[in-house]
Amino acid sequence: MPNVSENAVYNARIPHMRVPSPRFLAITFVVLCVLLCAPVRATDFRTPEEQLSRKIAAVTGPGALVVNIVNRSSVAQAEFEQIRRGVLNELALVGVRAVGAEQSAGAIEISLSENLREYVWVAEIHQGSNEVSIVMVTTPRPDSTVMPEHPATSVVIHKTLLWTDDNRILDVATVSTNPLRVAFLEPQGVMLVTLQSGHWQQEQSLPIEHLHPWPRDLRGRLILRKDHLFDAYLPGIFCRSTANVPLALSCFESDDPWPLAPGPGLSAFFTPNRNYFTGALSPGIEKQTTTKPFYSAAMLPRDKYKLWIFTGVDGQVHLLDGASDQTLPQSEWGSDIAGTQSACGTGWQVLVTGNRDKISETVQAFEVPDRELVPVSQSIEFGGHVTALWSEADGATAIAVAQNSQTGKYEAYRLSITCAQ
Amino acid sequence: MKRIGFPLLALSSVLWAGIAGAATRAHYGGTLHVAMRTAPASLDPCESGQLGFLSNLMFDTLVLLDDQGRPVSALASSWQAEPGNQRWQFVLRRGVTFQDGTPVTPDTAAASLRKSNPTWKVFSEGDAIIIERDSPVSNLPAELALPRNSIVKRDGGKVAGSGPFTIAELEPGKNMVLSAREDYWGGRPFVDAIEIELGKSFRDQMISFDLGRTQVIEVAPEQIRRAAAEGRQVESSAPVELMALVFPRDPQSPDDARQRRAFALSLDRGLLKSVVLQDGAQPAGGLLPNWMTGYSFVFPAMDLALARQVRSEIPHTTSWTLSYDALDPTARVVAERIALNARDAGLGLQITGGSNADLRLIRISLGSLDAPTALGELAARLGFSQPSFISESIDDLYVAENKLLQSQRVIPLLHLRTAWAVSGSVKNWKTTRDGQLNIADAWLAAGKP
Repeated sequence: MPNVSENAVYNARIPHMRVPSPRFLAITFVVLCVLLCAPVRATDFRTPEEQLSRKIAAVTGPGALVVNIVNRSSVAQAEFEQIRRGVLNELALVGVRAVGAEQSAGAIEISLSENLREYVWVAEIHQGSNEVSIVMVTTPRPDSTVMPEHPATSVVIHKTLLWTDDNRILDVATVSTNPLRVAFLEPQGVMLVTLQSGHWQQEQSLPIEHLHPWPRDLRGRLILRKDHLFDAYLPGIFCRSTANVPLALSCFESDDPWPLAPGPGLSAFFTPNRNYFTGALSPGIEKQTTTKPFYSAAMLPRDKYKLWIFTGVDGQVHLLDGASDQTLPQSEWGSDIAGTQSACGTGWQVLVTGNRDKISETVQAFEVPDRELVPVSQSIEFGGHVTALWSEADGATAIAVAQNSQTGKYEAYRLSITCAQ
Repeated sequence: MKRIGFPLLALSSVLWAGIAGAATRAHYGGTLHVAMRTAPASLDPCESGQLGFLSNLMFDTLVLLDDQGRPVSALASSWQAEPGNQRWQFVLRRGVTFQDGTPVTPDTAAASLRKSNPTWKVFSEGDAIIIERDSPVSNLPAELALPRNSIVKRDGGKVAGSGPFTIAELEPGKNMVLSAREDYWGGRPFVDAIEIELGKSFRDQMISFDLGRTQVIEVAPEQIRRAAAEGRQVESSAPVELMALVFPRDPQSPDDARQRRAFALSLDRGLLKSVVLQDGAQPAGGLLPNWMTGYSFVFPAMDLALARQVRSEIPHTTSWTLSYDALDPTARVVAERIALNARDAGLGLQITGGSNADLRLIRISLGSLDAPTALGELAARLGFSQPSFISESIDDLYVAENKLLQSQRVIPLLHLRTAWAVSGSVKNWKTTRDGQLNIADAWLAAGKP
């Protein structure tokens, strides 16, 4: 079985850089996880609590009133309790004391509500026979948090959030580890970000010019190279970067085939104005140079040959081994697959997209013993449609991009596999 | 079988259960068959308020709003306002063409906006369009996202847009066929064509759907629950269509104002929502729905006791007449229920088919996910003066909306959902929060690559 670090190809183009040891890579990965997987901190509501209290006091003046606070929003009960206490504290600071009905000169009904973009806190102030006075404040609503993972079974898929962006993320590649530098392929170009002092900073943005409109469901690949940093493949466009940072990117119209797996090997031609590969392979799998049009492919090494799996545009899974083209019965596999290498099971798994429900898509690991599709992990959920799933250069991890159905943003994850306990 | 095979297969029966369906990428090809109730008299988005989803199939706007009402780029690649928000510059996306192949230029775009907004000063400057307004406008991008501000090339009586589809066939009032544009700047739509039957009643649409002739039909708000219970896939928007009672003029006397107040307090919106509309709507205290503003619960709800008390303070009440759109079955049942509510409060209300009734039951789509823009559009459609906003704060929005309600010219009743029954062969069907459709992203499972 090939060693992952021996196959790594992405550090050779920086001559003075040392080849990182597996230990260094492991530490870097852990640091990355710590930095990126930190739990989302509860939103700080002190400012709106203070603002609302001041606005209320401007109407009521100091005094004793009945204060009732209700939750009409998606704020969780525990957070609501904190806000309730915070508002009462702030009201006390501006001289408005919350008392029982028998001692009060009026009442304040505070509603924690929300609209499309913000929390809206509304206070309806009743004093004497006067009309109800209404004051309100708004505060931004945080983005939704990442969906939890499912419990382990045979193998476990771990996902690490790498980046979130308003623009569609087509592919991601780690171009260096010291400093940690990641490239994101987007419809507009390639964005290079660097981890500096624990914070991601955009280092460069390299635009991609194109004469023809991009197809819907745009796809693209970033492939690390030895003699220069990376190549970018988009429908009808090929781009090549220079070797060193700051980078330059030269793009031109091209129908060159896209690499299908890490390292040298099989490539396939992509339809320039659609979202799938034509089926023409380069150089081919032994003598097989074509298959049905397909969306994605994964390679599983066998003792004496390589088994290639294609998810066809016809909805079927095709297995090619250089001699035969076997079509498996209609499966529940989605269009996107990515091969990964691990120390579990047969050593190679295929990550496959699927549907949990209409808004949440999943990725699940499969193995293909005796040419049967056998699931070996629980599905992990994404909070929206998975728009890209590609193997990374090391073959041990994959990149999944999902569009969060609540925020509309694209979230790029690194998927890795560990053995179940 | 290798050593690993058996345990893997043993696991598989459990793990397959975790997959509910395939996450398939979009297929290209096929014709989508759609039916709709309205039959627009004109295809010019500036003249027709009935284009509905047809508008964004054939036309583009400079700006679009995302699902949270934030402006995003469309025909304009960027924009900026000069200090004071009175002069705006929108840079036009390059390389975009109308359906007849001619380029979309700053000149044609400016001419189009002048036609839809005669009071604006609009002109081109280099590759940009300049818009100058009489007063500061902070939400101009949202205003430009309204369908009536679509960029249209007008040539005699013909209109052409730069949208993802072009008209291939048109039989006015009956049928139209739209074909996908290969060169659309946003990417060619997945389907090859859309065949749209116009002017079909809800009943005829449902029959056509159940016979498999039509893949997408409209569903009346009160039929949403039933259509879903009968196994149809129903996609609905947030409650985005205001159903309201409108008086043609301000109260003519203090007693008239009191009678209007008593009438408004008598309306059982909860019953209309749950019984008459079968939860296909939300009670509306304000003109804008709560999901858009976050505050509409502060507006008065039904209070029959107070309604009767206010009614008792009026020496002589007037028996009003109420009219509604006779072709709208939903409006008919709502009007009948309102008449009963009025009677409960001791008020007379006669339903009439006449055009000069004392009040009208109307339905108006909000038109925008941007709350100030939606309020401005509602005011325009109701014939009210435009609300003015000093700032973008929620307080200003509330004050402006409350001012319209305090006029007692309009009594909000419900916010209705827009719904579509969609065949299982139609994938990636998206009904946005505001009821807009992005059909260019939909695809057919049976389509050929």
